[in-house]
Amino acid sequence: MRIISALCMRNIKLFLRNRVQLILVLIVPFFYLYLLSTIFKSTAISDPISYVLAGIIIIVVFQTSLNIATSTIDDIVSGYMKEVLVSPAKRVQIVIGQILSSTIIATFQGILILIVGYFIGLRYDSVLTPLAVVATMIFVGLVFSAFGLFLAMSVKNSQTFQITSVAFTTPITFLCGVYVPLSLLPIGLQYIAFLNPMTYAASFFRALTLEKLSQPVNDLVSDQLAFKISNIIITPQISFFVVLLFGLLFLVLSTVTFTKVDFARINRTQTNKDIYDQ
Amino acid sequence: MSPIIAVKNFTKKYREFHAVDNVSFEVERGSIFAFLGPNGAGKSTTINTLCTILEKTSGSLMIDGKEIDQHKDYIRSVIGVVFQEQTLDVKMTVEENLKMHCHFYRVPKSVMNERIDFVLHLVDLTKWRKAMTNSLSGGMKRRVEIARSLLHLPKVLFLDEPTTGLDPQTRANIWDYLVKLQKEKDITIFLTTHYMDEAEISNRVAIMDYGKIIAFDHPEALKKQYTCDKAVIASSDPKQLSELLEKYAVTYTKEKQRFCLEMNDLSKLTRIVSEHQLSMIDLEIRKGTLNDVFLEITGKEIRE
Repeated sequence: MRIISALCMRNIKLFLRNRVQLILVLIVPFFYLYLLSTIFKSTAISDPISYVLAGIIIIVVFQTSLNIATSTIDDIVSGYMKEVLVSPAKRVQIVIGQILSSTIIATFQGILILIVGYFIGLRYDSVLTPLAVVATMIFVGLVFSAFGLFLAMSVKNSQTFQITSVAFTTPITFLCGVYVPLSLLPIGLQYIAFLNPMTYAASFFRALTLEKLSQPVNDLVSDQLAFKISNIIITPQISFFVVLLFGLLFLVLSTVTFTKVDFARINRTQTNKDIYDQ
Repeated sequence: MSPIIAVKNFTKKYREFHAVDNVSFEVERGSIFAFLGPNGAGKSTTINTLCTILEKTSGSLMIDGKEIDQHKDYIRSVIGVVFQEQTLDVKMTVEENLKMHCHFYRVPKSVMNERIDFVLHLVDLTKWRKAMTNSLSGGMKRRVEIARSLLHLPKVLFLDEPTTGLDPQTRANIWDYLVKLQKEKDITIFLTTHYMDEAEISNRVAIMDYGKIIAFDHPEALKKQYTCDKAVIASSDPKQLSELLEKYAVTYTKEKQRFCLEMNDLSKLTRIVSEHQLSMIDLEIRKGTLNDVFLEITGKEIRE
């Protein structure tokens, strides 16, 4: 427990020390909010600002969670991970520490936007909704931190990681219905969006944030909170289980990969020379 | 007393390449043990395997009586490691780096600050406690790493090329700290180096080349076995000196305008010089070095 909390505190401290990042984290989502709420006004969505805001919150949680991959790669490249790995700390403890800290940071950012969102019109009828919203942020944070860590462990060097990271995050971010409504995507891209776990996370999170989980299915579809794949309607509840399965899969995969990976095989340098070939 | 490190028939292969080939050696408790050899000799592979970072291909590696691949957690808790490359968290302060290490090694919180004070004092960095690590010089960072490796009071301290890339003064300072530490804490120091002078201070030296140990003994014993002291002389008339040395059958080698001969022939040389009233402009008595040992065994310089 001491190792996990020490790792969490370290990562949180590093996040809070990066003031530029802290400020940008607050500014950028509202730029997107302004931009996207004008796009979404043209759709049949009843409350475009809340609709877009909910999407942006979950995207911020997703993107921040994925930062765990970058910071883990940074720790490998800087050599610090070697100090951690040669210590008596178990790799599972390191995995938990990394994933938890990433989830805490992601949730914190989500909460910050949620608070600002309150002042621009995001309201809840039930006092339980904000708690459920925060719980979902933690859940989504855990899922994508596990995914991010798996991504970091799956690459052989930092250059490959940068390319892999962009190759994964760009389609996940833009093909999940947050920035562009799914209904406006070409059919081909819609099918790709259906394979995207963030599509399901965004769908559930939006329905929860807008307090429309109990709405009739047809209304959910017209509000773009549920979507159709062939003749099957994916309700927010189904979306939740899809994300849950995805999360469990990557939690296991990231833990197994981190425990088994030979860190000596991950190239830390700018060249292709393995540092241990000496 | 049983050895603190016992390695028997250790082999590490990368595909078909033998990085370490059937190596056996023992390290006494409380001693300084040096692995000397050129880059690529297999020193770092051995140290990384002993530190549980790499898996062995075959053989037995024991630290403190325990097989390392069966007792990784125990081994990690009784060793301190300073790697060849920098492994500090440069985004944190010196104190934060040290505290993280204490957490990882479960140093009791009640003694954490006391230990940090002690190790910082040992490496003379007390006033840099709150400094950001990336603001320190290379030598200071290395000292922080040494301090950090001592926080959990390890039985064995592994130092992989600890002074590579540092200026001579910093190297000398770091060695002062390490020797002081070894004497004060009775710790076993296991180091790899390609600097002769660093290996000279150790109790035992293993010279490695192409993954094999080619010599293993006390530095003085190795020098005694494989080298002899040399006299290096320079004369104002090198041509005449060369002719005389040949005439009196004195074996020598030439180093530019200087003549290098074995110390046993020094009395013969003195007689030649006085009889022929040769003027000598320089005389240097050169002790045998570990590089000479390496040269004698392999036919090449350690730096090649």
